[in-house]
Amino acid sequence: MIKIVKRDEPSRAIFFLTPVLAIFLTLVAGGLIFYILGFKPFEALKFFFIVPIADKYGFSELLLKATPLCLIAIGLSFCFKSNNWNIGAEGQLTFGAIVSGGVALLFYEQEGFYILPIVILAGAIGGMLYASIPAILKTYFNTNEILVSLMLVYVSKLILDYLVVGPWSNPEGFNFPETRQFSDSARLPLLFEGLRIHAGIFLALAAVVMSWFIFYKTYLGFQMKVSGFSLKTAKYAGYKGKKMIILVFLISGACAGLAGVGEITGPIGQLHREVSPDYGFTAIIVAFLGRLHPVGIIFASLVVAITYLGAETAQIFMQIPKYTGQVFQGMILFFLLASDYLLFFKFKFIGSKK
Amino acid sequence: MNTNLKISNVTKIYPGCVANDNVSLEFNSGKIYALLGENGAGKSTLVKILSGVIIPDEGKIYLNENNLKLNSPLDAKKNDIGMVFQHFNLFETLSVFENLIIDSDEQREGLREKIDSIMRKYNFSIDLDIPVLNLSAGQKQKVEIIRCLIRSPKVLIMDEPTSVLTEQETSELFLSLKKFSEEGILIIYITHKLKEVMELCDEVAVMRRGKLVSVSEIKNENIESLANKMVGQNLKTIKKKKEKNSSDKLINITNLNFISEDPFETNLSDINFSVNRGECLGIAGISGNGQSELFQVLSGEIISDKNSIEFNKNYIGDLNPQERREYLMAFSPEDRLEQAAIPQMAIYENVALNNYKSSNFFNNGLINENKIKEHSKKIISDFNVNTDNIELKSQFLSGGNLQKLIIGRELITSPDLLICFNPTWGLDVGAINYIHETLIKINEQNKSIILISTDTDELLKLSDKISVIHKGKLSKIMDADEVTSEKLGILMGGGN
Repeated sequence: MIKIVKRDEPSRAIFFLTPVLAIFLTLVAGGLIFYILGFKPFEALKFFFIVPIADKYGFSELLLKATPLCLIAIGLSFCFKSNNWNIGAEGQLTFGAIVSGGVALLFYEQEGFYILPIVILAGAIGGMLYASIPAILKTYFNTNEILVSLMLVYVSKLILDYLVVGPWSNPEGFNFPETRQFSDSARLPLLFEGLRIHAGIFLALAAVVMSWFIFYKTYLGFQMKVSGFSLKTAKYAGYKGKKMIILVFLISGACAGLAGVGEITGPIGQLHREVSPDYGFTAIIVAFLGRLHPVGIIFASLVVAITYLGAETAQIFMQIPKYTGQVFQGMILFFLLASDYLLFFKFKFIGSKK
Repeated sequence: MNTNLKISNVTKIYPGCVANDNVSLEFNSGKIYALLGENGAGKSTLVKILSGVIIPDEGKIYLNENNLKLNSPLDAKKNDIGMVFQHFNLFETLSVFENLIIDSDEQREGLREKIDSIMRKYNFSIDLDIPVLNLSAGQKQKVEIIRCLIRSPKVLIMDEPTSVLTEQETSELFLSLKKFSEEGILIIYITHKLKEVMELCDEVAVMRRGKLVSVSEIKNENIESLANKMVGQNLKTIKKKKEKNSSDKLINITNLNFISEDPFETNLSDINFSVNRGECLGIAGISGNGQSELFQVLSGEIISDKNSIEFNKNYIGDLNPQERREYLMAFSPEDRLEQAAIPQMAIYENVALNNYKSSNFFNNGLINENKIKEHSKKIISDFNVNTDNIELKSQFLSGGNLQKLIIGRELITSPDLLICFNPTWGLDVGAINYIHETLIKINEQNKSIILISTDTDELLKLSDKISVIHKGKLSKIMDADEVTSEKLGILMGGGN
């Protein structure tokens, strides 16, 4: 007989193994879906997960997609660890892109080493401003940050839409909904000739190190951690709980804003309607798959980035819609939540009783 | 008809602990049985087995020679076993009547008559049509009892029923229980309060570490003998040396008011008192009369008017807890798991919650882990916390050990004033004694204590002066020597 028993203590090994299990189950279920659709499961999975990263170009693309995911997820980990459910990173990304794009457009005819830092800073500030809306509404007016941050996503997308169609659209652009190209001084440098991977990856790595340092080494991180577990305890210890909430939103917004900057000053080079293929939403999956741990998030962002690439390859070679990528992302989250059950419960095999 | 309940060789094993180790007991109606034991002794597990909440690994239950299969609480109800839990299982917003009929399959109107007749019979007076949230704790408990009585149970199990009651409510409860017993209901009374056992019960079974230690008649026992059986060692009785205290005022509260926006909180009005050095001021009261709010106002979780609190000749009413710690105040809140400590964090991290500046736990914004760990080890050995692993998550400490850790942490600063709120709530005798000794020691070092507690015995034992809080107002401050628990009881109930 198999019995399900509650664990005394969530096992640390299981804590980091369940994401692996979730990925494995996603592959199995994905194979099954391909089989039902009439493909050979192993071949299809190979097209999805191995072919896209088999060469240098593919690997660069992988890092290119993983960069914003990692950056945003690191920011989100600050919010999620302290029980603030910011799910509007997509909006913060978009607004960061708008602000930094606006600044980059100001300098469109100019050259200079100072331009890029200003553009990057503008993006971070834009993200922070946008994240401060749900934060302030939550702390001072008791609104629900999930709703506010989510709905602001659509607001930011509409603002972007208006700008690229209207006031900011390229005067020589034949009414395409896009702005001018940024000048080279406002672009993140490419790391290798012929590959799209750009210096934004260092921003992501810096964010990883910074978040690790803040969370594990500083008093500020300690206060965030305590406030996240219990606001009552935070109050009793004399921490400023409300400021802590606003702070984590700002950090999270800054990271999402930076991800937006990375996209428009990296591969895109201008503002148009689609600055992000929902990186801000997918990063939520990345954050949880990486267990809100900086190193875990690096791995998770690579895994989830593959689903973007795989979807494109699958579309080209197998004529499957690229939305399959989102199916895989959904399955990862689904199986992760399901296997989290194992964190708190375990199966016990017991011999049949007399 | 006589009821005979037999527990035969019941064993329940949890990973790492044997909650019930081959326990056999027999009960007969007409008597009130006490099941006595410290926290973690296994008495709750045993009654949960009787009420079908937990299924034992081995052993059988017989009611009047019938082997019972208790796989769910419903099975227990069907077999006429009723249980009143320590924490009420009532829907606050539903009316009393709705709460009573919620798990019944009988007709509404028939039930109303039945409930009325039960209430008449036992002299309960509760308005059936008001929402439960308007009831006092004692009344809520009566609702739970009536809910059991509707099913005319053969066995009624009461799990630590007096923890939320006043003295008067307790004696009313005892009268009712005696009446039930005379009517042939078998009563099993779970507690760790020795006085209640002596007062109410006829026979007592003592459990310790999952094992049944003794079964005896009350007339052959006294409080000391029971305490020793329960703890398993000879306890020294502690007595506070009453000395003449200094008249040097340490803290002085004047015209302190607190008006809450939350309808479930109690407003504090016109609080005035002072505490001298080396003195312990006890504040008695039934829970929910403003103790929590008073604690928060004193600790700085609720900020008040700057001049309303004078501490050591400084006005500190507008400071937060962290800033007050710098003036050598320390706080031990009531809720150990949700406020005083974070169960998911390691012991040493919990120690760091007391971030007094000269502790140097944090330097230039960085965590000084060595310092914190060093100090944590010291607390663990100085305060007898039963572990040597400071990386252990604090949720794995027993209530007593956690409380020792918290008190130890708060005393890091060797504060002039310690404010405690129910410091021994839910602890076993051994831990209670340890905490009490610690508090007495603090007074002996000429430091002061404000002890907010719902345990009158504790207050009478430790306090030099006592006041009673009722509906957010403090009674006049009395000398502890002149107060009796009866007098406190009257004041706690709002009398004069």
